[in-house]
Amino acid sequence: MIDRTQSGLVAKVVAIALIAVFAPRYSTGEDTTPQVVLNTSKASPRSVESLTERALLRDYEFAWVSLEQALESNSTAPLSGLFAGSADAWLNEAVTSQRRSGLTSRYLDQSHKVEAVFYAPEGDMIELHDTADYRLQVLDGSKTIHDEHVVVRYVVLMTPGADRWVIRQFQAVPEF
Amino acid sequence: MALALSVGALCLAGKIAAAQDADLRAPSSAVAGHAASIATTGSGTATFYLVGPSIALKRDVHLGEELSLSAKELQSAGKYVAIVCAATCRSVGFFVAPTKPLNLIFLVHPSRAPVGQNDVVSGVALPFDEFHNLVLAPATVDFQLSAKGSAPVSHQVLTQNGIAWFHTNSGRTAGALQLTAAINDVSARRVVQQVASDPCSLRIKGQRTPKGIVVETEPVRDCTGNPVPDGTVVTFTAKDGKDTSTVDAPIKQGIARAQMTATGSVVISAASGVVMGNELHLSAQ
Repeated sequence: MIDRTQSGLVAKVVAIALIAVFAPRYSTGEDTTPQVVLNTSKASPRSVESLTERALLRDYEFAWVSLEQALESNSTAPLSGLFAGSADAWLNEAVTSQRRSGLTSRYLDQSHKVEAVFYAPEGDMIELHDTADYRLQVLDGSKTIHDEHVVVRYVVLMTPGADRWVIRQFQAVPEF
Repeated sequence: MALALSVGALCLAGKIAAAQDADLRAPSSAVAGHAASIATTGSGTATFYLVGPSIALKRDVHLGEELSLSAKELQSAGKYVAIVCAATCRSVGFFVAPTKPLNLIFLVHPSRAPVGQNDVVSGVALPFDEFHNLVLAPATVDFQLSAKGSAPVSHQVLTQNGIAWFHTNSGRTAGALQLTAAINDVSARRVVQQVASDPCSLRIKGQRTPKGIVVETEPVRDCTGNPVPDGTVVTFTAKDGKDTSTVDAPIKQGIARAQMTATGSVVISAASGVVMGNELHLSAQ
């Protein structure tokens, strides 16, 4: 027969175990959703239409999610359809060489402040300046060899594809 | 015993030497496609990593020596992180800049433009180096436009954020407009076909024949005298008392021709696009 003190203790242990199992993952996990803010007010010579702005924001954010997944998993599949030209070639090479070297990288806690600086007269190309704030981790196998909070400036060229904007050029620069 | 202790001490010293932390000095002005080196301090062996826009390599190195980075490893412009791990890991970041322009991407719109229109032709030029890096350093792009029968026109535009652009009016004469963008000896050429604008004035003539009324236009031209393309539709309308009939006829070799039926007095007119022609009044048969 279990006395009241023992049953109370057992109940506490069970409660703690249940909380540990069912507590929301994000209370201790890393935020993987990039925060992207896009400003198109300075784009010229063509103004960016509001629907275009929404599409750009959606596609640019998705591209970064995919880039992160590709470099963390060492798979080129997430990059498909979101990058073209040099950007696609470079990222594919980065994934391939990571795989060859046994390395992976993570782009955590991403925050992007993006400004459109050029929008072609016919709307077939846009240049963005992205001040990207994230935590870069590089791992050799399971060992973290580099963990740094960085702010990196990217010059990005995007062109409209069949159903989305794709990134054609993706180049980090020391300053804009 | 003393010998064993000495050997043990030497081994331990060797391990400490291998585990010494290294300091790194990045290349000060790395350029795409050019070899560079990273200076290191310390001694012993370590593992070197280089992570860049299109590369992630790993190799064993000796500390205290310069770590060579080959031209191929530094082809992509952007940010690189060099990491050396011995007892702990140290890192240094550096940028690789593009080299000089060797290719010009030149986007021109439209492929066909009506003559006599303002700012209807536009061009955007982007310089890239031989490794497909966008050259962001300001460069002067020389845009040249030439068409048959017109003096060539030149615009010089300094790139901003790696881009130079222009827009211009189409000419007065139909034909090929040659556009060239050039930076020093690197150039790209495009062609815009200038075509006739909308018909400017329509003149028609006609006569009764045993089979009906044959009506045709005079040669149809735009306001600058260019023949309107074959296939442009002209609509002929015949009003015969209360009845109205229409015939659409395409222009062939500059003229649209139609046959209409009407027995009484008839008024025939023609239109193409927004242009109306003269009226023909034909009396009853």
